[in-house]
Amino acid sequence: MRRRLAATLLVTAALLVVAMPAASGGAAACAAATGPHAALVVDTGSRSTAYCVALDAPTVTGIHLIQLAGAQHGLTYGLGFGGQAVCRLQGVGPAGDDCFADHPNFWGYWHGDGHGGLERWTWASTGAASTTVGSGDVEGWAWGAGDSPATHPMPPRVGIDAVCAPEAEPTPTPTPSTPPSTPPSVGSASGAQSRPASSAASASPTPRARSATPTPDDPSSSPMVQIVAAGPPPTPPAHGGVPPGVAIAAALAIVFVGAGLVRARGRKDVER
Amino acid sequence: MSVRPTQTLHPAAWIVWATCAGFVAFVTTDPVYLVLLIAVSWFVHASNRATTASDRSFRVFLIAGLVALVLRTSLAFLGAVVPSIGAVTSATIAFAFLEGLRLATILVVFGTFNAVTDPFGLVRMAPRRFHEPALAAALALSIAPRTIASVGDVREAQRLRGLPVSGLRSLPSLAVPVLERGMEEASTLAESMDARGHGRGRRSRYRPQRWSVAAIAVAATAVVAAAAFLSASIAGWGGLHPATAPIAWPQGDPRLLVAIALLATPGFLRTDGAP
Repeated sequence: MRRRLAATLLVTAALLVVAMPAASGGAAACAAATGPHAALVVDTGSRSTAYCVALDAPTVTGIHLIQLAGAQHGLTYGLGFGGQAVCRLQGVGPAGDDCFADHPNFWGYWHGDGHGGLERWTWASTGAASTTVGSGDVEGWAWGAGDSPATHPMPPRVGIDAVCAPEAEPTPTPTPSTPPSTPPSVGSASGAQSRPASSAASASPTPRARSATPTPDDPSSSPMVQIVAAGPPPTPPAHGGVPPGVAIAAALAIVFVGAGLVRARGRKDVER
Repeated sequence: MSVRPTQTLHPAAWIVWATCAGFVAFVTTDPVYLVLLIAVSWFVHASNRATTASDRSFRVFLIAGLVALVLRTSLAFLGAVVPSIGAVTSATIAFAFLEGLRLATILVVFGTFNAVTDPFGLVRMAPRRFHEPALAAALALSIAPRTIASVGDVREAQRLRGLPVSGLRSLPSLAVPVLERGMEEASTLAESMDARGHGRGRRSRYRPQRWSVAAIAVAATAVVAAAAFLSASIAGWGGLHPATAPIAWPQGDPRLLVAIALLATPGFLRTDGAP
């Protein structure tokens, strides 16, 4: 009797482990255009993308900002060191848990220190899990070598207004109107810097993605940045049910546990 | 020490099996592989355990594994108390859970190894130069199962005499006989080893154990399984570390599933002689 109970518990535990990811899979993003926003600039070295991210709290951590960008804009990312560090953004960076696996290359972390205008990037002195990001802040990640702010590549200079503000306002009509304060030229998203279909961000059907030189007064120092504004969240990647490998493993595990129970009972009878 | 079944696997085959199974658990945090490995360990244990007493050893290591899993997972919540560690997210919790599951699997493999083999059989294989360290290691390895076995025996005897066996008050009456028995066993062991010529630079070759076909099969399949995981770990295939941020379905590579199933070989061979 106790054996049967134990077996049931074991199988239930196995199923729980297997079913765990399904429960937390589709965290629907709140894409409300009102409320706190922050900008997230990701520079892979060959392409720069700026995301306008709606915050779900007055302040969030740098890690959570990336998670929000993943939920709202389909930014692909991988965290390491127990979810405390950023290993991988837009498919660039080590895939495992060791974020310094590709050293000297790694994701440098920068804070923007200006509001509205061009950002002056400052090298982050703490990890992204323990920083606070508030509304209007700009966070930058740049892939490359160099262990100090003097040698590590810097993200392109982008202002929060160019990324977020005007278009984040709710508009009465579904088609967004371009306010006169917005400097960028609209509609050249497939410019030199963006490679379509190479990342979830550029492949996601955000109608308001546009390419921009952030401010007209300083175009030389600002490479083209693809800006992804707050839009409707992309449909999450479809969970195609249980992967076949998981189903096979679950079946095998149940067979082994069952065979073990049969063996155990058989031996008990023999020993009596 | 109870009577061993007549036909046992060479202890070295069990060492190879346990090392390879432990290595497999060590290199992955994928719950698919780990849960399957726990199931395989249980099957091997159920088919090969040496005595009823060491059955308890498996159970104790299983419980130890569960405790490790709970502790490791709850450590992830430390971030809520100590802000500098960082935020508590589903990613950190899932990561901690998978690490704990890996630890639990290693403990279960070790528990299986303890239950199926006789540590003193291992001492015989050690080269003469390393005989004494090996003896110390065997004693250390066997302390847990022997203590567990004698606790169970003493409790059973007390229960038969109508004494209370649970609660704090029964602890002294449990500890004294267990310690006494431990001392007795140690001196018996010392005497018997002295009688067999241990510790005097000469060793008898009394009933040397041979590598049977079954033992070779167990060792070979275990090495194949470990080699598959080693190549997956080096070349980065098979999804040994599933993504926890965001949480995604772990992948069960069929080749690695077959590799873990290979570790069940000793369970199919039923080397204990039981019908």
